[in-house]
Amino acid sequence: MRKVMSANEAVANAVKLARVGVVGIYPITPQTTVIEKLAEMKAEGEIDADIVRVESEHAAMGVTLGAGAAGVRSFTATGSQGLLYMHEMVWWASGSRVPLVMMVGTRAVGAPWNIWNENTDFMSERDSGWIMAFASNPQEAFDLVLQGFRISEDERVFLPMMVGMDGFILTHMKTNVYLPSQEEVDAFLPPRRQPYVIDPEAPIGMGNIFPPVEYMKLRHSIHSAIQSAESVIKEIGKDYEKISPFNNYRTLNVKYRMEDADYALVLMGAWAGDAMEAIDELREKGINIGMLRIRYLRPWAESEIKELENVKGILVMDRATSLGRGGPLYLEVKATVRNQVKGVVTGLGGVLLNKEDFKRIILKFLKEAKEERSDGVEWYYPAEVEKVELRNPKDVE
Amino acid sequence: MLNDTSLMSGTSACPGCPENIAMRMLSMALGKDVALVVIAGCSSVTQGLAPKNAYGYASLNIAFAAGPPAASGMWRAYKRRNRDVTVVVWAGDGGTSDIGFASLSGAAERNEDFIYLCVDNEAYMNTGGHRSGSTPHGALTPTTPEGKSGNKKEIPFIMIDHNIPYVATASVGYPHDFIDKVREAKTIRGFKYVHVLTPDPYGWLFDPSRTAEVAKLAVQTCYWPLFKWKDGRIEVSPESLHCLKKETRRPLKDFLSIQGRFKKIDEKGIEDLERYIDELWERISLNLKR
Repeated sequence: MRKVMSANEAVANAVKLARVGVVGIYPITPQTTVIEKLAEMKAEGEIDADIVRVESEHAAMGVTLGAGAAGVRSFTATGSQGLLYMHEMVWWASGSRVPLVMMVGTRAVGAPWNIWNENTDFMSERDSGWIMAFASNPQEAFDLVLQGFRISEDERVFLPMMVGMDGFILTHMKTNVYLPSQEEVDAFLPPRRQPYVIDPEAPIGMGNIFPPVEYMKLRHSIHSAIQSAESVIKEIGKDYEKISPFNNYRTLNVKYRMEDADYALVLMGAWAGDAMEAIDELREKGINIGMLRIRYLRPWAESEIKELENVKGILVMDRATSLGRGGPLYLEVKATVRNQVKGVVTGLGGVLLNKEDFKRIILKFLKEAKEERSDGVEWYYPAEVEKVELRNPKDVE
Repeated sequence: MLNDTSLMSGTSACPGCPENIAMRMLSMALGKDVALVVIAGCSSVTQGLAPKNAYGYASLNIAFAAGPPAASGMWRAYKRRNRDVTVVVWAGDGGTSDIGFASLSGAAERNEDFIYLCVDNEAYMNTGGHRSGSTPHGALTPTTPEGKSGNKKEIPFIMIDHNIPYVATASVGYPHDFIDKVREAKTIRGFKYVHVLTPDPYGWLFDPSRTAEVAKLAVQTCYWPLFKWKDGRIEVSPESLHCLKKETRRPLKDFLSIQGRFKKIDEKGIEDLERYIDELWERISLNLKR
């Protein structure tokens, strides 16, 4: 079935088709329409999941983890301050090796208040031991959440998975989305599998104190599970073709016009659409640039990224930043390839870029690359921002 | 009478630990079909080192503030799986009155179907006895070396104000009363709050052989009331009935002098504590079942 819907609505449909049993919900913009849709589905009898309206995001993950530990498929959604408030439980979920899925509608982090899009919240969870995917359009939001349950519950993984999507730009954007039937999804997604269930039938204790070496071995096992998830994701992506017309899940990340590219742009998320338009126009002028869109931050598909070593120059654009250093994607790419890498930090707090901005950024990068000085990090403001005066605490009026 | 399946050998608890006493009583009350959610506290440690565990119960250890949410997810999961399991959150007084209070209040407001057991040793004993919202006025702790200023937070009353089906207080000094209340809680659907006083020899500074005695003195001096709240009324346990009249209460000094943590309290501090006890019992009297 094809239907026009927002990414948030697509996520709710994936949760429904996955036959999720327990959903912990707490409102935060721009994720709220996911939980509104799920509550509406429940009220209208379309799903029979327990919707638990908790008092905080910390509790939302507590409920989701508790239900998962007791043997039921579970889901939650959050973003920004909510994800930060949940941070402790994000780690508890992966450390407990409980499979579950969370949607993250990305948004800038305060102070000061800002409700618009930025990926720094999502990026700040990269060390937490989760499988981390990032969608680029509503269809992919649906596909990744649905696949997420199977990836998370695969015995070679047994880790929670979060699927990020750009706040508003993607969460609220409507396009045609293909939904497989319930029968097809049931065939694709087997009943829940998990490493253990907390149940008096076979009592076990989970999470009591691990002595140093045992603790280190446990962290090591999560590290290995994230790495082995790479082949699992490809395998599941290929299997997904049985129920979906989309066949681009055989790799973790997505290439665009990279076959003959001399230069590569690396980024993730919804702005890949603007970037592709800019690339098409530059190609018409004879500039051989392609794009690698990162779809999985964890696992980090090193071999896919390493292919970038074949190009003359790499430009990484981050909608997030590790303040005082550079964009997280930039740092990851730089640690993977031997080439010179230029990083651009932009789009923070909802700053919008259009196709012309992408062309400006790329052309400047190409000029620098030819002079072999395409290194370091630049903060880019869109063309209409003529003068950048930074605000400092001493300037308070 | 001892059901040794809930607490096996290998616990790393201190001598005289009141929490292990409470754990044994809990299993006497509930039997085997129990899943525990243990939040941060002494009990995270006294289970012993993984991969082994001294608790015979299926138990999920979890972060401080996450006990009630995890239990909310768990009882729903058991219901969906047609499993008849009593879910119990095992939480200390810091996890209850301070860092976990919002999640306790949230789960109570939703009337989630589990037993919340607050094991109250009146300080963060696991970190070294630091003051919590449940520490009484005048008590010395490593973070209140001059004696805590301000009364113990009255969590049982705050839970009564949530209008949940069942609230009860207990003391490890009175096993039958505690066990009866936990058994009764098990028969009730919805949110059940049980608050048990667990005097700690190392935090309260008394001889480890006297745990039960101190737990009794707390009740006899009326510092700690034994009651249950059900159907909109308080019912005082027989062990505490003498507290309803001021003149039949045992002198508070009998409870204070047996412990080292009140050694710096002056006459005014004792008067403050006595006034606190008077007000506590006035409040109980106003809500008595008649």
